[in-house]
Amino acid sequence: MDSKKPDFTLLDHTADLGIIVRGRNLRTLFEVAAKSMMYIMVKGKPADTTKTFNLSVEGYDMADLMVRWLGEILYLFEGEHELVTGVEITSVSHSHLDATLETVSFDTNLHEILCEIKAVTFHQIEVVKKNDHWETRIIFDL
Amino acid sequence: MDIKLEKIDDYRWLIPKTGSMRVPGLIFSNAELINAVREDQSLTQVANVATLPGIVGHALAMPDIHWGYGFPIGGVAAFDLDEGIVSPGGVGYDINCGCRLMTTLLRAEEIRPLMKDLVMALFKNIPSGVGSTGAIRLSKSDETKVAVQGAAWAVKKGFGTTEDLERTEDHGVMEGADPSVLSDRVIKRGKDQLGTLGSGNHFVEVQVVDQIYDSKKAQAYGLFEGQITILIHSGSRGFGHQVCDEFLKEMSKPTQKASFELPDRQLACAHLKSGQGRRYLAAMACAANYAWANRQILMHWAKETLLESLSISPRELGMKLLYDVCHNIAKKEQHTVDGTNVMLCVHRKGATRALPPGHPLLPDIYRDVGQPVLIPGDMGTHSYVLSGAKEAMIQSFGSSCHGAGRVLSRSKAVKMAKGRAIHRELEDKGIFVQSRGKRTLKEEMPEAYKDVSQVVEVVHEAGLAQKVVRLRPLGVIKG
Repeated sequence: MDSKKPDFTLLDHTADLGIIVRGRNLRTLFEVAAKSMMYIMVKGKPADTTKTFNLSVEGYDMADLMVRWLGEILYLFEGEHELVTGVEITSVSHSHLDATLETVSFDTNLHEILCEIKAVTFHQIEVVKKNDHWETRIIFDL
Repeated sequence: MDIKLEKIDDYRWLIPKTGSMRVPGLIFSNAELINAVREDQSLTQVANVATLPGIVGHALAMPDIHWGYGFPIGGVAAFDLDEGIVSPGGVGYDINCGCRLMTTLLRAEEIRPLMKDLVMALFKNIPSGVGSTGAIRLSKSDETKVAVQGAAWAVKKGFGTTEDLERTEDHGVMEGADPSVLSDRVIKRGKDQLGTLGSGNHFVEVQVVDQIYDSKKAQAYGLFEGQITILIHSGSRGFGHQVCDEFLKEMSKPTQKASFELPDRQLACAHLKSGQGRRYLAAMACAANYAWANRQILMHWAKETLLESLSISPRELGMKLLYDVCHNIAKKEQHTVDGTNVMLCVHRKGATRALPPGHPLLPDIYRDVGQPVLIPGDMGTHSYVLSGAKEAMIQSFGSSCHGAGRVLSRSKAVKMAKGRAIHRELEDKGIFVQSRGKRTLKEEMPEAYKDVSQVVEVVHEAGLAQKVVRLRPLGVIKG
């Protein structure tokens, strides 16, 4: 678990929680978005046993790809009880990404849930290029 | 978007039909509550819902309206079965999130000294918190039975009685559930979460009836002043979330939007008559049934805990289910529009069905008084029991509000609570609270919510539902 805060800002939403993430390129943007979500969700100590695997995600466009990408990472926790501790995007286009993930099994003795994110929503989802960087806005269902 | 609001009377505001809106918007509110609503984006969300194909009457919002995602929370919208759509975002992630209220024969003064122990026992016996798993491990075969049979499955397994089913909206089962449309991920997430409360605003509350507004109806509901009641708020857990998530993704495919423009991707939807629409309704019904089974089991465990913790007999406890209502659902219902009876698909996202006296869907016990409408407040103030009234069928497709409604974002609430011991503040008010999540109490503190008494006053004055009793919390367990 990376204890350093990734580069995101919180967006105030009455019922839920949103973030704005910036990255110098698309690869960084998708990596930082995933790290930010995990940073908000959980705090913990490094575990001895980690797993590494590859993940590919398809989307209809970049905004859709972002929701599906974060949704896969969230499912790993909700469905498989695996926490993503490391992310490397190996390739990303407008509708496809390949990533290598490092995960650890969720352990209540090692990990503390700070905030339960229940879903990554499509509400006001945006992935845009702004001058010299990329930016995304994501709203989570809590 | 700047939304124009026209005041109709003291309790109703109109959003006139403009742009691509197919119908006007109608907000039930009052002068004070509507000001808070103007601060966020929920009015835009009402206008967005009004653009969806096949919408009938008005895009409605209850007085607890607040900014959701796609639909506003507190939103109600009815769609024509031929031309209209069904929207997973219009139901919400927690499909059939809802409330059930149980009455007892206990009086507050009898158990007040034991309240701390009772709350601790409830906290120990009812699994709660993030990703909580319970004592029940469902085989795939049993999980599909839960998805089809709903609360009746739980009753067959010994969690409660058939009498409970009569006192549950739709008898605790939604027709049309088809487990063959569920993904492996839905089954996986549902297998160990039945009989668990979850986190966030889900709770079990021990309350006392502290004010009676309508003694005749209170008597019909089995309520009396000083009585202990138990209120449960929970839903379909990861099962429902996974259903919503998967269908939203499926319906967000760009070709789905070909015939109309979506103002927000979270409003992704499918025509009710389409294969996709029908599959969603079949999956949604499975999740609704999972939620009813869940609340049935939670009720049973709450009852067992009271019996054990207070060392009393079932006869002395006298626990009965008053009613169980759902807040997040899309249902095919009969309504009268312009004098004609029509079947519509009514979406309620953070809204409660409110049937008036005489409605054919009411169980015999409530036929003369109307459906109990359960409105939980925040954990520091009151909850209410209302009865469905006739204006609901005329103005709101048989719907009322569902709670206080948030007014502060969770992060603002946490900031405001900094340096304060919320549990101690509540204890000073005579409310003993146990919570699993560290942030939960701060996020859910009373100031984070609208004044529930005002919300209830609006639905009462607008004639959607009538106040019956007020309930004051004594003990709360939160996820």
